Amino acid sequence: MNLIEILSYGFIQRALLAGTLIAVLCSVLGVFLVLRRLSLIGDGLAHVTFGSTAIALALQLYSAASLLVSLPVVLLASLGILKLTEKARLNGDAAIGIVSAVGISIGIMLASVGGGYNVDLLSYLFGNILSISYEEVIIAAGLFCVVMVLLWLFFHDLLAISFNEELARVSGVRTNLISAVLVMLTALSVVLAMKLVGIMLISSLLILPAVSALQLARSFRACIVLAALQGGCSVVAGIFVSFLTNLPTSAMIVMINLLFFCCSCGVRRLITIRNIG
Amino acid sequence: MKRLNMVIILAVAVAVVFAGCSRQEQKESAKLQVVATLFPLYDFARTIAGDRAEVTMLLPPGMEPHSFEPKPNDIVRISRAGMFIYTNRYMEPWAESLLKGMDRQRLRVVDAGQGVQYLQNVAGDEHDHDVPGNHGAEGHAGVVDPHIWLDFSNAALMVDNILAGFIAVDPANAAYYRMNAAGLKGRLAALDQRYREGLADCATRVFLHGGHYTFGYLARRYGLEYHSLSGISSESEPSAARMAEMVRQIRSSGVHYLFAEELLSPRLTDTLAAEAGVAVLKLHGAHNLGKDDVQRGVGFIDLMEQNLVNLRKGLACRSK
Repeated sequence: MNLIEILSYGFIQRALLAGTLIAVLCSVLGVFLVLRRLSLIGDGLAHVTFGSTAIALALQLYSAASLLVSLPVVLLASLGILKLTEKARLNGDAAIGIVSAVGISIGIMLASVGGGYNVDLLSYLFGNILSISYEEVIIAAGLFCVVMVLLWLFFHDLLAISFNEELARVSGVRTNLISAVLVMLTALSVVLAMKLVGIMLISSLLILPAVSALQLARSFRACIVLAALQGGCSVVAGIFVSFLTNLPTSAMIVMINLLFFCCSCGVRRLITIRNIG
Repeated sequence: MKRLNMVIILAVAVAVVFAGCSRQEQKESAKLQVVATLFPLYDFARTIAGDRAEVTMLLPPGMEPHSFEPKPNDIVRISRAGMFIYTNRYMEPWAESLLKGMDRQRLRVVDAGQGVQYLQNVAGDEHDHDVPGNHGAEGHAGVVDPHIWLDFSNAALMVDNILAGFIAVDPANAAYYRMNAAGLKGRLAALDQRYREGLADCATRVFLHGGHYTFGYLARRYGLEYHSLSGISSESEPSAARMAEMVRQIRSSGVHYLFAEELLSPRLTDTLAAEAGVAVLKLHGAHNLGKDDVQRGVGFIDLMEQNLVNLRKGLACRSK
């Protein structure tokens, strides 16, 4: 099958467009999150979304209207993770673990006491990169713009708290506010992007491009550019390879990210050996 | 004084409630308790049981069988029951482990799919293959299709299996159960006849489904050519290539409708239909019912009648 024919399908065009936007967005956010030891926040917030969707369905709010419940709940949960790391002095993984476990148990409890639903909850929770609608491309573009502009506005402060929070605080950065902005942008992205491309893709795109870029980059800016590049390329490559190999697209994108990670580890090793030599 | 009155009123109220509860419990325990896993079994069992036994369904409304996780209450319900009915080990792989701790002397377990000739769905190729027959030129090991109730001759066999269970557990009411089962089998045979006639003269025999492989038995019985987007496993996801192939299949076969399954998210089906410029029609797999349908008391045959209406519309069938 040739390239032109593959590109002639509308769902492929939308997958490429929205997928790349979401991937770049997640990769850039991921750099900050990985440095702040909040790598698994994507998975954690996805579980909270499950719980909040159960609440929405119990209130008879379906599909788009369920966001009215999910968004505020997940935003609050992301702030909760932050507060747990600050006030209870927990590590990020433990804080995420608590919030994620509570989120999923609320969902399971409601699913049981509510006397069931009119639909299968799990099947409605996650999107698939191959089933993105026109409206969702616009949502992805809007989300991309909002997150990128805010990251750009807070770039220097985010940079400061990512490397040394104490130093940043002493030098007058409002660290609590900046951390809150970071996790809330993540929450917004997870809730919206999960419905578009599914959670497996989101949580892997929050981690793998960032850790690959951290292997190679000499500066923070370079790191962000590399991560964004890997995220974007992995989606484009993943869609085409999924076409050629007849394997599921999302899983293929994750595998390509893993390949990128292995390559960057290899390159880093080579550089180290050469420097020693 | 006022306080004393309150106490008396409360005590009486509590006593009344308790008496009510215990009476209700006695009434319940006098009857045979039956637990069925999925909707078709539940519907068949409650028809056979009539007013002589109490049948409950294990799955909460709307839930897909793979998402099921038992609550302590479910275990209590099964342990108090005299009979447990499940479809087969392919449909409810969790049934076996659920029954492990149960007293099998007291609890009769009915494998409703016993004696059914199972069909296989070969991965990557949606044509049916008989289990004992060859597995296709590709040499893939097929996956057994568990949706046996969608062939109404199998449904009749399931009714027989369930009836045998009732007679074994409660022989005193055997004649009553036999009568109800015969009535149900008659209605299933009439349904089968309506499907045969309704689907005899259609503009197309190509039945395309933008979801997981479900309707293989139905298609085979009425001579339809069935293709689904993805295989039986609910965890499998389609590749970009399979999506494109399905779009080409829709376009080349000239159908005007693509089918989607009720209760499940129609995202992928909608994408395919929009791409190929066709409309979407819903079919019910009948594993389970939505909450509203449960309250309305919808039965298996009602669901299948609605499926026939949509199938006839989708395949552009002419009436005789």
